[in-house]
Formats: sequence, structure tokens, C-alpha cells
Amino acid sequence: MSKVIVPSALLNRVVKPSRYTGQEWNTIVKEQSKVDVSFALAFPDVYEVGMSYLGYKILYHILNGRQEVAAERVYAPWVDMEEQMRNSNIPLFSLESFRPLGEFDFVGFTLQYEMSYSNILNMLDLGGIPLLACDRNETQSFVVGGGPCVYNPEPLADFFDIFLIGEAEELILEIVDCYKQWKQSGRSGGRAGFLKEAALIEGVYVPSCYDVNYNADGTVMSIGLTSKDIKPQVHKRVIKDLETVDFPTRPVVPFGEIVHDRIMLEIFRGCTRGCRFCQAGMIYRPVRERKVDTLVELAQQLVNNTGYNEISLVSLSTADYSCLHPLITALMSRMKEQGVSVSLPSLRIDSFSIQLAQEVQQVRKSGLTFAPEAGTQRLRDVINKGVNEDNLRDAVCAAFRAGWSSVKLYFMIGLPTEEDDDIRGIAKLAYQVLDWYKEVKGRRGAKVTVSVSSFVPKPHTPFQWFGQDSIEQLERKQHLLRDMLKNRDINFNWHDAKTSFLEGVFARGDRRLGKVLLKAWSTGARFDGWSEQFDYENWLTAFAECNIDPHFYANRERQEQEIMPWSHIQPGVEKKFLWREYQQALKQELTADCRRGDCGACGVCSGLGVGIIDWGNE
Amino acid sequence: MKIRAEISKGDEIRYISHLDYSRAIERALRRAQLPLAYSEGFNPHVKLSFASALAVGITSQSEFMDLELTKTMNIDTIKSCLEPQLPAGINLIRCQQIYNNAAKLMAVVNLACYKVFFSELSGHEQLEKSIHKFNFSDNLLFVRENPKGKKQIDVKEYVQEICCNFYPYGLELSFDTKITPSGSIKPGEVLQALDHHYDLNLPLDDALICRTGLFIEKGTKRMSPFDLIGEK
Repeated sequence: MSKVIVPSALLNRVVKPSRYTGQEWNTIVKEQSKVDVSFALAFPDVYEVGMSYLGYKILYHILNGRQEVAAERVYAPWVDMEEQMRNSNIPLFSLESFRPLGEFDFVGFTLQYEMSYSNILNMLDLGGIPLLACDRNETQSFVVGGGPCVYNPEPLADFFDIFLIGEAEELILEIVDCYKQWKQSGRSGGRAGFLKEAALIEGVYVPSCYDVNYNADGTVMSIGLTSKDIKPQVHKRVIKDLETVDFPTRPVVPFGEIVHDRIMLEIFRGCTRGCRFCQAGMIYRPVRERKVDTLVELAQQLVNNTGYNEISLVSLSTADYSCLHPLITALMSRMKEQGVSVSLPSLRIDSFSIQLAQEVQQVRKSGLTFAPEAGTQRLRDVINKGVNEDNLRDAVCAAFRAGWSSVKLYFMIGLPTEEDDDIRGIAKLAYQVLDWYKEVKGRRGAKVTVSVSSFVPKPHTPFQWFGQDSIEQLERKQHLLRDMLKNRDINFNWHDAKTSFLEGVFARGDRRLGKVLLKAWSTGARFDGWSEQFDYENWLTAFAECNIDPHFYANRERQEQEIMPWSHIQPGVEKKFLWREYQQALKQELTADCRRGDCGACGVCSGLGVGIIDWGNE
Repeated sequence: MKIRAEISKGDEIRYISHLDYSRAIERALRRAQLPLAYSEGFNPHVKLSFASALAVGITSQSEFMDLELTKTMNIDTIKSCLEPQLPAGINLIRCQQIYNNAAKLMAVVNLACYKVFFSELSGHEQLEKSIHKFNFSDNLLFVRENPKGKKQIDVKEYVQEICCNFYPYGLELSFDTKITPSGSIKPGEVLQALDHHYDLNLPLDDALICRTGLFIEKGTKRMSPFDLIGEK
């Protein structure tokens, strides 16, 4: 093994050099001679973003829990550091043993966001690993992908050896064991031999074991198997009961400030509200809660081991935790004298949440965020966002009475069935909030921020068939809003439509996009999620040179029977449920939260042999 | 109970900022489960103060901090609680109780000593000559540029003399900078000023800078912050 030494002269020339120097508290550095399997946990964005990701804190802990396994962290160098590294021939290295990426047995990437794909290619290149899986030889790393975007990993199929579908706490150790056996067997069958063995594990998708054929119109004709023992459908892995898996209580504590610089206590997984645009709500089912006692104990260990003074309760929808009140009371009474505060991210709209926000003393009354998502009740019913204007009024007025004066409202444009009335509804709601403030306080003084993103249809959601609005349509709607929201008490911001378009292309893309990605990277694409780095023209050129029409992927309405490029990847939510939900949406019919209401027959519980764990029902 | 501690900032954490360093110590103190005193208010913070901030890229053999505890503890107990919780690069060198009338570190520490090491340097003679000139000149003007704007300062107001030592493995400069109520000068700025004024073409990015001491200078007398700890 070789240790990468980065000259100090080089570090003196880049911004935030401590991104690249490691040595943080709770870092695990293992003696190389005692390690059988090395696993790089690579995050395709900068340190501050990657270090905030809970999934890797969990896997770092699970993998390093094995004596013979070393898991190490790798982040994308910012453009200034990349330039320095390329000029000095310094390979991308890990922050534990400072080894080049290419010396790891496994290089794992988490796929959080389509716009980080070009960074994956860049990191492989900087790490000395051939970009195409088919070009890697017997001694080179296995490149593994996981995270939410693996539910359609097809645009990345050329670059990855293995994808891990679903929750990886158990799965990742099974892969490691499989690798050890293969190594002990003298690497029987070579690289392909290991991949074939791995492909037999539940939740493992080896893209090279599948052949995709296309119709003349460009849609998928069939997804064939290269041998008969390969599973036609890869079902996601899911932890039945979170109480049975380890939660990391010694996460690495950074020196520099990161995006989420606090303890992240995961209180439950899954959300069954059933918002029809939301991929997380579909792929992380069912809801599984941790117990209050477990959480309080974990929180204390985390405080003792990190020295953080803030605990954030994380989940997809924290106000939905069935025992939130007892949990907060227990945490606050224990943490207060230790100088530790509790915070709640992502609140839903109800006055109960305001009461909670007040209780946890988020006293810096800097602003509360609400997500009505759509401007009219009609459209909120289409997306199954079970809130109405009364809910919003109650919540906002409660917040104003409690002393808040600035409110942030999140919306999406480009949703199915949307008309200009729905766009005007967004503006109306913003002015309505200003009026409510006057009613409550008897004077002006509220500040409303309207934040509007553009809807990107995602795989495995009821809207997976929907043709995304074109850039022109989105920009027209943004202009409409900008004209209506010209008010000194309203601050309006929106997402770049071109970025949303490209995100839409890759979200529902197929394997043919691999060559576009490769082309765009080779002509400079990286950090596409950072507006100052994003070069749309470069991407258009790449599409044109590869003779691929991006609109085919983003803007085309699909047929019910069309074989989706991701149809062999199964989160458990069945296609017939998704289609039923799409039809319900078009009729503006609501579907209840199965956690408390009737079962919506999505297929997860019966299909995967799991069930809802909700301590509020006990 | 008030504590004064001398700590280091090693090569492992050379590139962290002063704020990062302070936060790392605050977290170590909390892990050590010492009875920390907090400030009042909505956003309470640990009562912890430093003598002087240290820039990104600079190590230190001797930093000082004052800390307040809500209970009286044995100094050795404090040490044994804190030491195992300190991250790589921070060593607890010395720790002592101070008393209420001890002046604040920030108010009394007025001298910082630095060593600058260059491993590869050509044109030794020109540098030596320039430093000799600097030592005998009355002033050396330098324009400090930062986001707030430009300001002209006189390096000689803060640095009297620079020493130069040649070793087989490189060259070492050492100098002391004054910390005055109206400001001070960073060691990097001293190098920039020399480089610019004498047209030296120094490899500034290669400079390894280390703070070797912080002192309280009164006339010709040089004292350690441990010499002024108030009275019981």
C-alpha cells in the first residue's frame, strides 16, 4: 500500500484545506496488516456535504465494527484542489490511511442526487480506477453504488460493478463475506466469478448480468438475463425492526463546520403519507419507529462520545413520530443541564408542530418553514398532500401568536394537471399569509419567503409516467410568479429550470445515457448541482454528439404498459398500485395514510415480509 | 473556578481555523464531562477565551486559554479527564487555577513569537542581506488587503528584528510580533512584506509557520501568562 503525501504548499493554495487532512475525533484508522477487506465510502460531493450524510455514518460504524474490515472516507475535491492534484499527479485519497482510491477492494458511492453523477466519474478518474466496469482488471477495485438513486441506476450501469438496493446494514456485510470467500478460494472465476456469486445475494444488482434491448421507438423492449440463475427482479433489502441493528454512537466529529453540524438521531424510517410526487415516501416503506427508551439512551451516548451540543431528530417527517411528545420531554429534561439542545427539522403543517417548536425552544425565531407544495386545494388533492388552507392558517397564525414573523413557503411547479390558476394560487397564498399576520398582530411586519422548485418525476412513484414540463413551460410559470410576487414583504426564489430538466433526464434515463455522461465529464462537467459550476451548453453538446434526445427521457408521457428501464429494480411498491394512484390523482381523489387509516395495498408489507412498527399503537 | 491552560496546535491540525480549534476544544471539554460554566441567554456558550487567534496553516507550541467551571476541582483530575478527550494535534501542556482578579489573556498577552521554515530556498544571500537591511531600517510599509479594503501598516511597528538560520535541510526565520490594542501583524504578512519590498520571490506557499510562544512583555521583562494569575 502507498500513503499519499500532500505537500503543504499545495494545501496553502486551496480554500478550506482541512477538508483534505482528516485526523478528526472518532476517526477509525486500522493497522493495514490486520485488514482483510478495505471499503472506501466515497461521497460524490465536497466534505461538508458528505460528512452530513447519515447513511455513511451508519455504514462506517457497521463496517468498521468488523475487526478485519477497514472502511474509510473519501470526498470529492473542490475544483481548486482537483487542479492542484492533477498538476502534481496526486491521486484521490481516503482521509484515514491516505491511500489512493484505486487501492481499495471496494469503492462505494452513494447516489443521492442525479446531478452528482459527473463527480463520480471524476473521482474514479482521480482515484486511478478505469471508468468503465468492463475495463477493470483482476486487481482493481469493485465499484459499488447505493442510496436513493439506485432505484433507477441504469444511467450508471456502465460504470458500476454492483448496486446495493435498499437498506444496507445487513447487506453490506454479506457482500464483504462473499468477497472474503472469493479471495480465500483463490479468486475463483476471476472478477466475473465474484460478481456472479454476489448477484445471488438478495438485494444485489449486478448490471453486467442483465441485457437491455430496445424497440425502434426507443422504449425498452426487454430486460434479459445473461444466465438462468440471475434473478429477474431485484427486491430491495429492508431492516424489519430498527431495534435489531446498530446505530452509530461514535460518528466522526469534523473540525470545520459542515452542513448538518450536530447529532443526527434517526427516530424512524419510512413515511406512509403517500404524497404522490415523493420518491422517498415510496421507496423507504414501511414506517418503522425506534423506541423512546432506545432513542434517549442513544442520544446520551452520542453526546458523551461527540461533545456536540445539539441533537436533531431526523426522519422523513419528524412530527409524525407517534411518541414525539414523550421523546422530546425525556430528551429535554435530561439534556438541558448538559447544555445540549434539541431541534426539529422539516415540520408538517399543523398547530401541534408549532407547540412543539416552541417547546424545544428554537427561540431564535428566525423563520418557520411550511410546505403546502401546491397553490390550490385542487392540486394539493392531486398530489395527495393531505393539508388544506385551514391547516395552513391555523399553523401560521399559531406561529405568529408565538412570536414568529417570518415564514418560508415551499412549492413545486410543473405538477401533473397544473394550470395557471394553480400558479396564481401560490401567489394568493403568499399574500394571504401577510394578511393573516395583520389579523393576528393588527399591523404589518411579516416576511414571507416563497421558494419554488420545479417538479421532477421520479421512478417508482405514481408520477413516473408523467411527462415533465419543458424548460420553456417552467420558465414561463416562474416569470408569472415573479410578476405576481413583487412586494417588499415577499421574497421569491426559484430553482434553475435547466438543472431540473437534466435531473429529470437522468432520473428516468436508461443505459444509453452512460455515453452522454462520459462525454460530458470528458469535456469538463463536474459539480453540476452547484450553479456556479453547472454548464448546460456542455451537456447539450454531449447529447448531440451521442445522438441522444434528452426530451425523450424528461418530457415524454409514458404508456401504462411501457417497460420502464428500472422495472427490474423493486422497492416493493407494486406497479399496479402506482398506476392506480396516478389515476386517482387525475381524479383528485385522496388516499389515506395506511399507518392509521386503511391499507392502500401498495404491496410492500406482503411482498417483502415486513410490517409497520408504530409505538403509538401500543 | 477559573482555569488557565497552555495547549498546542500540532501539524495534524495545521489547516483548521481558529474557530474550528476553539470548537474542537469546546467539544473535548464537553466529552470530558467537566462542570462547564455557560453564558446566560438563549444561545448559551461555554465560558472559554483565548489569548490570541491563530490563522489557518499555522501550528503552535504554546496557546493559552481560560476556562470557567461551576465547581472546584483538583487540577490533576481536570487534566486526567480532559487529556483523553483531546483530538490529535492538541496537547495539554500545563494547567493551573487562576483567580478572579487575574487579567484577561486577551488584555495582557502582547507578544507572539514565530518560527518560519522553508525546506527549499534559492538565493540565500539576497535574503540574508534583505533581512539585515530590515533589521536596521526605521520602517517598512505594507499594504494589507482584505475584504474590508486596503490599509497601510508599518511592519516595523510590530516586528523589530528577524533572525535567520541556515540548516542543511532548510532555512529558518524567527521573529517576535507585538500584539497592541490597535492590532498586530500576521506572520504571513511579515513574509509578504519582505518578499514584496525586497523583491525576493520567496516561495510563500511553502513556508511552514509555527508560533513558538505567547508572552506578556513589560519593559524589558518577559513573563508567561502563568506568571499573572491573580490572587486568592
